Amino acid sequence: MGTSIVVTSGKGGVGKTTTTANIGSALALLGKSVVLIDADIGLRNLDVVLGLENRIVYDIVDVATGDCRLDQALIRDKRFDHLSLLPAAQTKDKSALTVDMMKSLVMKLKEDFDFVIIDCPAGIELGFRVAVSGADRAIVVTTPETPAVRDADRVIGLLENEGVLTPKLVVNRIRPQMVKRGEMLDIDEIVQVLAIDLLGIVPDDEAIISNANKGEPTVIKPDSKASMAYRNIARRMLGDSVPLMVLEEQRGLWGKFKKVFGSKS
Amino acid sequence: MLLESERLSNGERATVTLKGTKEGLLLLLDDQAELSRLLEDLDSLLNGEKKSFFSGPGVAISIDYGNRQLSSEHDYELIKILHLLMEKDNLFIKEWGPSTLAKRSLFENQKTNVRQTLWKGTIRAGQKMVFDGDVVIIGDVNPGGEVQATGDIYCLGRLRGIAHAGILGDWSTIIAAAEFSPMQIRIADMMSSAPESPKRALKTTMEFAYLSEEGIAIDKLDTLHNWTMKVRLEKEHSQ
Repeated sequence: MGTSIVVTSGKGGVGKTTTTANIGSALALLGKSVVLIDADIGLRNLDVVLGLENRIVYDIVDVATGDCRLDQALIRDKRFDHLSLLPAAQTKDKSALTVDMMKSLVMKLKEDFDFVIIDCPAGIELGFRVAVSGADRAIVVTTPETPAVRDADRVIGLLENEGVLTPKLVVNRIRPQMVKRGEMLDIDEIVQVLAIDLLGIVPDDEAIISNANKGEPTVIKPDSKASMAYRNIARRMLGDSVPLMVLEEQRGLWGKFKKVFGSKS
Repeated sequence: MLLESERLSNGERATVTLKGTKEGLLLLLDDQAELSRLLEDLDSLLNGEKKSFFSGPGVAISIDYGNRQLSSEHDYELIKILHLLMEKDNLFIKEWGPSTLAKRSLFENQKTNVRQTLWKGTIRAGQKMVFDGDVVIIGDVNPGGEVQATGDIYCLGRLRGIAHAGILGDWSTIIAAAEFSPMQIRIADMMSSAPESPKRALKTTMEFAYLSEEGIAIDKLDTLHNWTMKVRLEKEHSQ
């Protein structure tokens, strides 16, 4: 029996879909069988980020209403051994997917996969409640900005009400230089306010944007900082203790010198 | 230290308050006010501007008179109050008492009838917790979160949201926190907002806010004893 995890944030545009795609891919790279569910009915884009848009025939609403079998709607990602996507519906009504449908769908998928990762829509309306309903655990994504942290706080409270206790935190889009100048919230400050465990931090990386446009999860290539960050998160989810990444770049001659000789600081 | 504060209601506080609850309408009658004044206010509530509110589909109403001691010398006013309510065809009197079910349903600690509550947990953005009596929050009140109590509020964590003590008008209630940096504090019907800038330094000593004659003031917690003594003396004096 696998675990179901919802990726949520409250606020839009903080990187839920990117996080879902990359954590899922990273877990698949580590040999786990993973299925990603796009629960953002009407505004699907997990398929685009993964580059699987062209292969969609059936979607989650078709499965829920019984218009097709579950295995017909699942799209296997050929770049990985065990990564599948259950895409969201684009044109159907949001209310077509109910809490009960979602619960039984997730239960079925948990029998076949190690991880069922649900990409939650922004907001705290019905779509949020449906997405959360089948989840055993939750990952809350935020960025180092006050509005995003405020919404994350609200969502953690709502998750507790829905019975999804002790969510884990991912702080996305960190710009080390801005944090250093005091123009961006400090990670310690965010963790202190939200009072939940930190699962990982992800730097703001241009590679994320270019890869999303290409339809390629960033974690496939280990050449960017964001890729390493997502791989670390996946390892922590499997129980490894991986230290947090040091985001600040070493500047100057001494920094380069240390880099050449592989010093860790 | 005195904070800049303002009164929320203009002039005198209303002696009758109407609230909607899960149990139906709730009419709160101030237990300190003169009965004659209360009667006037009730009349203007029921038959004044909001008159239309009291016609329409039938609704249950609970009347809560708080800690007022009722005696036979007040019979006239009490009968008048009930009469005013019964005149309204759509109001069905469900409860009449000092601690009605409807009033208790407003509070987090409705099931226990104690006047002190220990609340363990963080009050997060968008959450609002209301307590009857005093409350000790073991945890933080985050920005955007709100805690209200009819009595005192003690936060053994970071108070960064909104705290409102004495929501039913008790001016002698206080607000205390281990880390005192609230967005807004309210005591009875007085309100004070955090200064816009600069951010206050984190205090290592616990502080509390109380209502002085000039407005909301804050002081170190070790002077709380003086304040309670002063309140006790003043309350005894006024009786």
